[in-house]
Amino acid sequence: MNLRDLRLRVRALMAPRRVERELDEELAFHIERETQKHVATGLSLEDARARARVRFGSASLAAEECRDARGTALVDTAVRDVLYALRTFRRTPTVALTIVGTVALGLGLVGAAFTIFNDFVFRVDAVQDPGALFAVERPRSGNPDRVRFTLPEYEALRRETDVFSDVFARLMDIDSRIDGRMMAGELVTGNFFQVLGVSAALGRTLTPADDIRHAGRQVIVLSHKGWSRLFVNDPDIVGRSVIVSGFRYEIVGVMPERFRGLGLAPPDYWAPLSLVGQVRPIHAGREDSVGIDVIGRLKPGLSRKTALAGLAVWASGGNAGRAATITLKSKRTSMAFSPEVLLGFAPLFFVFGLILLIGCANVANLLLARAVSRQREIGIRLSLGASRGRVIRQLLTESLLLALVSAVCALAISRVVLDATTSVLMSTIPPELAEFLSLSAPGADWRVAVFLAVAAIISTVFFGLVPALQATRLDLVRTVRGELTRDARPSWARDALIVVQVTASALLLICAGIFLRSALRASAADPGWRLADTIMVDIVNEPFRTAMVAAVTADPSVRAVAASWPDPLGQPRAAFGSSADNPGRSTVAYRFVSPEYFSVLDIGVLRGRVFTQEESSSNAAVAVVSETIARQIWVNSDGVGQVLRLQPDPNSETRRRDEPPLPSQTFTVVGVVRDVAGFRMAGYSEAGVYVPTGPATAETSLITRVHGDPELVRRALLERLTAIDPNMGMVLTMRTLGRIETYPLQVGFWLTVVLGGLALMLTVSGVFSVLSYLVEQRTKEIGVRIALGATTGNVTRLVLSQLLRLVGIGLIVGGGLAWGLATVLMSTPAASRIGNIVDVFDPLAYAASLLCIVTACVLAASIPALRAARIDPIATLRQE
Amino acid sequence: MHGWAISDRIQQISQDVLQVNQGSLYPALHRLEHRGWIEAQWGVSELGRRAKFYRLTASGRRQLAVEASEWERMTTAIGRVMKMA
Repeated sequence: MNLRDLRLRVRALMAPRRVERELDEELAFHIERETQKHVATGLSLEDARARARVRFGSASLAAEECRDARGTALVDTAVRDVLYALRTFRRTPTVALTIVGTVALGLGLVGAAFTIFNDFVFRVDAVQDPGALFAVERPRSGNPDRVRFTLPEYEALRRETDVFSDVFARLMDIDSRIDGRMMAGELVTGNFFQVLGVSAALGRTLTPADDIRHAGRQVIVLSHKGWSRLFVNDPDIVGRSVIVSGFRYEIVGVMPERFRGLGLAPPDYWAPLSLVGQVRPIHAGREDSVGIDVIGRLKPGLSRKTALAGLAVWASGGNAGRAATITLKSKRTSMAFSPEVLLGFAPLFFVFGLILLIGCANVANLLLARAVSRQREIGIRLSLGASRGRVIRQLLTESLLLALVSAVCALAISRVVLDATTSVLMSTIPPELAEFLSLSAPGADWRVAVFLAVAAIISTVFFGLVPALQATRLDLVRTVRGELTRDARPSWARDALIVVQVTASALLLICAGIFLRSALRASAADPGWRLADTIMVDIVNEPFRTAMVAAVTADPSVRAVAASWPDPLGQPRAAFGSSADNPGRSTVAYRFVSPEYFSVLDIGVLRGRVFTQEESSSNAAVAVVSETIARQIWVNSDGVGQVLRLQPDPNSETRRRDEPPLPSQTFTVVGVVRDVAGFRMAGYSEAGVYVPTGPATAETSLITRVHGDPELVRRALLERLTAIDPNMGMVLTMRTLGRIETYPLQVGFWLTVVLGGLALMLTVSGVFSVLSYLVEQRTKEIGVRIALGATTGNVTRLVLSQLLRLVGIGLIVGGGLAWGLATVLMSTPAASRIGNIVDVFDPLAYAASLLCIVTACVLAASIPALRAARIDPIATLRQE
Repeated sequence: MHGWAISDRIQQISQDVLQVNQGSLYPALHRLEHRGWIEAQWGVSELGRRAKFYRLTASGRRQLAVEASEWERMTTAIGRVMKMA
């Protein structure tokens, strides 16, 4: 291919008609000249022309060969195919619309899943050169948590290492009330915005001058989200002052909308890190021990490996504290594109992909039926000399065109799906939690469009290839003669498609069934605590504890106040319990509670008594155990009065820095209470051992029993307590706590029900159309049978038998697949947690879903079957 | 020369031994044009009608030399074999 060739090809594409005209002219001239030659030898004009034509041969063949030599055949035929396809759609618009609608639905769902995935894994924040930003982390072996840096360590890193052009530190997830409303903030060092290379949309960003140790300026910068969520995009916001934990802060700037602060979603505001003691009074005086995240920008030209080596040297010098291993994690995107992340998203794609698959199967069946009605058209083309590949290419072009149009629609559909899901989620979240959460649907970018286009092309192969191959396998002689086959022959393709649809629907419905059963079970499960009229109060800032406890106790609606560590949602501390005479150790969990705990939460005392006030205020070495633990440790006695040796498990994950210390290692058991199941979804077992404490102890939460409507009391308490500590934690009814547990299950259920319903609907419509089509094709045969004496039952059985066989196969395959997937799931490390919540082998769920599908399919088939039974044999036989 | 003239000329020079298959003449000319060995120009013919005139290009001349020498080699070789027979 040289320049001239290229120029000629382009010319042929740009001005096709002129090139054609030139070709005709050139050939016509040749014949004319040859004619002249023969005229000169004495022939008449007509004879000369005839002889010239004969000599030349077929002009159209020569023209065709010249066109081939032009090299634009591919583009030419493609354009022609597209125009032909458009004409076909105009003739049968309903078929085209049905196909577009079905495929768009499937593509839209898959596109929505990809949009979410894209936001996590590919979306890059609007900062300068995000690829150079790395977080410095010290992972702990065997522990998902990492050892965070402290401020002195961060400053040492900044001073002594040479790999970063600059480093900043931040403390995330600061929830505080500003002007009474819950806002999520981050505390950052003064160079945060400079290292990221961003500037404010309004006002200014934080600077190092704002962040001087012990002399931080009381300024905050809002994110666009915080600005619109809580200050209604007030353009005069800069300069306004707000109250944060009792201190006055000035808003100095607002960040642009696209800036996300290197997270998935931006916080509501950023404030200087040096003010941590103010914003979180628990850290007042202990600022140097706060755990912070460190992120730096690598020096230009420095590779990650070199930087890591440099940091490792620094770390081994003892400067990095106990944890010696140090890693660099890229902060370019919110989540790395790693196999674990892919595996995490796989179920979402799988489930949505199933809907796309069913939709494509429907479309494929539709096209197979259409192929029969287009026999004459295709037969004529084939007999005129079109190669089979050419016709297949044209049919595929039709399918591809429809798929691309569907992809465009799918973009809109995925948008709608995401927005609708977000708004439904936000409106069904328990209202107390709604102020802590703000979901927003991620936006689509060019990657989503590319993904949809690729998915459209793949779908085309799925639903277009087999029908195209089938359509061109014709007996030409019979077709052109007009003997169109009525295609009553069993088509393996059609059968396979129905099996695929039924399998996919079965999978989805089984999932829905499992979720439903688990949700029902979870909501019916009795955690063993009294939930109806109890409220939990979280005390976050210790300086206010006495005032808060006094206020709670004094509230007229509060009947009793108890204290507990940890709060009911937290995991009790793991330990080993043994008795003096029983050398074996049992694994137990213990909780610090006040004496009122048992009565407030209705935990019945079986033997002995609960703590007294003196025992709890003096942290006496007494304990109350649950009956199972008592039976485990003291097999022979009833436990009361026995000595319990309690040893906290040093390696357990439940070890936390804020736990109260145990007064001793030996305790005298004063009472035995009944077992408490706890919230099952939390994934761990409830405490078996109770150790005394009181509301005055730091880190405990209050649990109260109240009169009247718990929600009203909750709101009143919240008001009263925010007056004391404007930055307080949560006040939740225990009933809401229970609902938090079941909420994810409910979401899972509704999701799978909607998807399962969609799948079933598509399958049913597919079955209905295929069966109607088959009945219509076999009308003659059925008419003959009826004439020969077949009853309604015989005819119905004839129509249904084939379908039921296919449905049966689909159900077996679907059920088997579900069982297999469940087995695989249960063998993964997450199995125990899942097993607590959902029973993936629940036979009732399996049976119910399969029954559902069989019923739906039989109903769908009933109408065509009845129509078949009502065929008038005389009328059909007359149609010969 | 235009296409008809080429075919006529070949017939003349070879003394009617080589008769160009006129149907495949123009596809061949177009392929040569795409290869860049000949170039075309529309002009007025002896009939008064428009016709497409072809002419060798520089690279066409080079290719001609190459093909000619190939042909020379071929015919010499065949001649030698035939002389042996």
